[in-house]
Amino acid sequence: MFDLALLVQGLPLLLAGLWNTVWLSACGLALGFLIGIGVCSLKLSERGALRRLGGAYISVFRGIPLLIQLLFIYYLLPRLGLDVPAWVAAIAGLALCSGAYLAEILRGGLLTLPVGQVEAARLLGLSGRTTLTRIKLPQALRATLPALLNEVILLIKASSLISAVGLAELTRTAQNLAASSFLQLQFYLAAAVLYCVVNISLALLAGRLERRFAKGRA
Amino acid sequence: MLEARGMSKRFGEHTVLQDINLSIQRSEVVCLIGPSGSGKSTLLRSLAFLENYDDGEVFVEGELLGYDRASDGRRVRSRPSRLSDVRRNMGMVFQQFNLWPHLSVLENVMEALLRVRGMKKDAARRLALATLEKVGLAEKADAWPNRLSGGQQQRVAIARSLAMSPAIMLFDEPTSALDPELVGEVLQVMRQLAEEGMTMVVVTHEMGFAARVADRVLFLDQGHIVEQGPPMTLFKNPQSPRLAQFLGNYLERNSLFEAAPALNRVDD
Amino acid sequence: MDFTVLTDHASEIGSGFLVTLWTWGGGVLAGVIAGLVIAVIQLSAGPWVRGVLRCYIEVIRATPFLVQLFLLYYGGPSLGLSLSPMTAGLVGLGIYGSVYFAEIFRTGFTSIPRGQQEAAAMLGMTAWQIIWRVQIPQMLVLILPALVNFTTILGKETPVLSIITVPELTFVLTGVGAETFAYVETLLALCVGYFLLAELCSRLGQWLERRASRYLTQGVQQRRALKPRESAA
Repeated sequence: MFDLALLVQGLPLLLAGLWNTVWLSACGLALGFLIGIGVCSLKLSERGALRRLGGAYISVFRGIPLLIQLLFIYYLLPRLGLDVPAWVAAIAGLALCSGAYLAEILRGGLLTLPVGQVEAARLLGLSGRTTLTRIKLPQALRATLPALLNEVILLIKASSLISAVGLAELTRTAQNLAASSFLQLQFYLAAAVLYCVVNISLALLAGRLERRFAKGRA
Repeated sequence: MLEARGMSKRFGEHTVLQDINLSIQRSEVVCLIGPSGSGKSTLLRSLAFLENYDDGEVFVEGELLGYDRASDGRRVRSRPSRLSDVRRNMGMVFQQFNLWPHLSVLENVMEALLRVRGMKKDAARRLALATLEKVGLAEKADAWPNRLSGGQQQRVAIARSLAMSPAIMLFDEPTSALDPELVGEVLQVMRQLAEEGMTMVVVTHEMGFAARVADRVLFLDQGHIVEQGPPMTLFKNPQSPRLAQFLGNYLERNSLFEAAPALNRVDD
Repeated sequence: MDFTVLTDHASEIGSGFLVTLWTWGGGVLAGVIAGLVIAVIQLSAGPWVRGVLRCYIEVIRATPFLVQLFLLYYGGPSLGLSLSPMTAGLVGLGIYGSVYFAEIFRTGFTSIPRGQQEAAAMLGMTAWQIIWRVQIPQMLVLILPALVNFTTILGKETPVLSIITVPELTFVLTGVGAETFAYVETLLALCVGYFLLAELCSRLGQWLERRASRYLTQGVQQRRALKPRESAA
């Protein structure tokens, strides 16, 4: 059931898989963040049509399961003549989906800002864009940092689905090792432990930040 | 019928109650007064074992409350059923009313009659309505608790306790969460109960009520019973500087904000 | 685009849809029951049991659902636990759901003022009577939005079951796609199908919320505003 020698042998592969998981998630998050800012400003726009567009993006990408989105991108892009590598498809899938969630998180952060602050900025002659980037976003980011970290955890977990399109991230690596060694339990447990190490550290960090901000505000 | 012997209570390192000795007779009305943080609510809650006291003993009609003697002489926490059994003659009314908002007024009063007393639905209903009548709220039987004023809610809470026909009732600052104009109706019900001979222990800031209804007033400070006696003696002639100061603060506050200080009414 | 592949395989798709509904419903039911049990134990047990449950919750929350499924389905047999794909899927969804439902229930329990339990205890009600008659009826209304929300999330996890060959909607439709090379049509159908399911679930939830909270929300708001300070002496 367990074979320590094989585990030690497989460890470098697992760690390489973990590295892939982390950087794919990080790229997905970074791109998703940009998408999120875009969708969020659509949703907060004064034009009804733009608001509806933002809302539609959010409900579509939150409503459809991530696995289906990934498969869609993976199969659709080649059909459109875009022969992109699997990792590009994976990052695109993660980014499009997390963009919808991040948009909602950011919107929540922006809506909690007192209206008076924005009015004050406007009265001082700051443009709409400057107000957004210098006054609103920094505060929204700080207020939503715990929620954003939580989203990172969700994204790292969601990235396990990339294994379905054949990329050797952590889950796929464990799958390969498990299949070739017939030590299913051992390698899936190893993968679970690695996910735990990363995600529980992130969760602890989120908890600490939340307490610090709670204190700062009180 | 309710007795505390050498009772103490600590929260961690901090001693909230120290060596409390107290004996309450049938039909006696005892008011606990004292500055906030003096431990008066904790004392009342310990008498009901809502706080488990650390040392000493509390007896309800001769039965030890909250603990049992093990065979080796040490004491152990009572099983929940035993605790309920010792508490069966006790009713309690809380500062925040603690009505159950998902049940109607009538259902609030009926709930324990049905599930604890095991009464038939019809009998429980009749008893509940009669008790609501007593606190003047029979016509609100089908209302939701949150639609009532604070004073009405507290009267329902009194009826809920009263319906279980307790021999002794504990009141934990029953009027402190109420708007000033609603205090009177609750005190009126409590006064009526006292006149009917109910044994009552009341934690209160209402000095007028204590002066007129209590048989005995206990002044608590820093976890000790500093002084006790009939209200007139205590209020007119405080022995300890702390009680004098407490009453002085109280008088000052009242003369600042009210035309007629409550203590003047002691004389009527 | 040729959507006749869908009508050609209508009966397979139909049965896949039923399997999706069955695993979803079963997973939610198992998760709710297990979650409620966990929450009640967490509230009443000693520090050791609480610690063990806390670890269980943290580990399940920190690992991907897919890895949990693999552990159960492929790792189970080496522990003498051989499950069919369908059973593994149901149990997996139940385990995954149980920790999130447990957290929802725990929040619900703690949001009901302690004084209500004290009042019930002083009237002689037993711990079970207090849980069933006082806490749960109120809590259900408070946590309904969270319950519906997580039920939708669990529904969106069901396609993952296709990876361990549970014959649900995704498994059937990707199979049809591979067989007929109609990838785009079948994936589009999947998108629309799941989107509609998620919408349906949240509409249903909103309707339930409106019905359930008619009399209670007002009371809850009032109570929050009161800021009880019951045990302050």
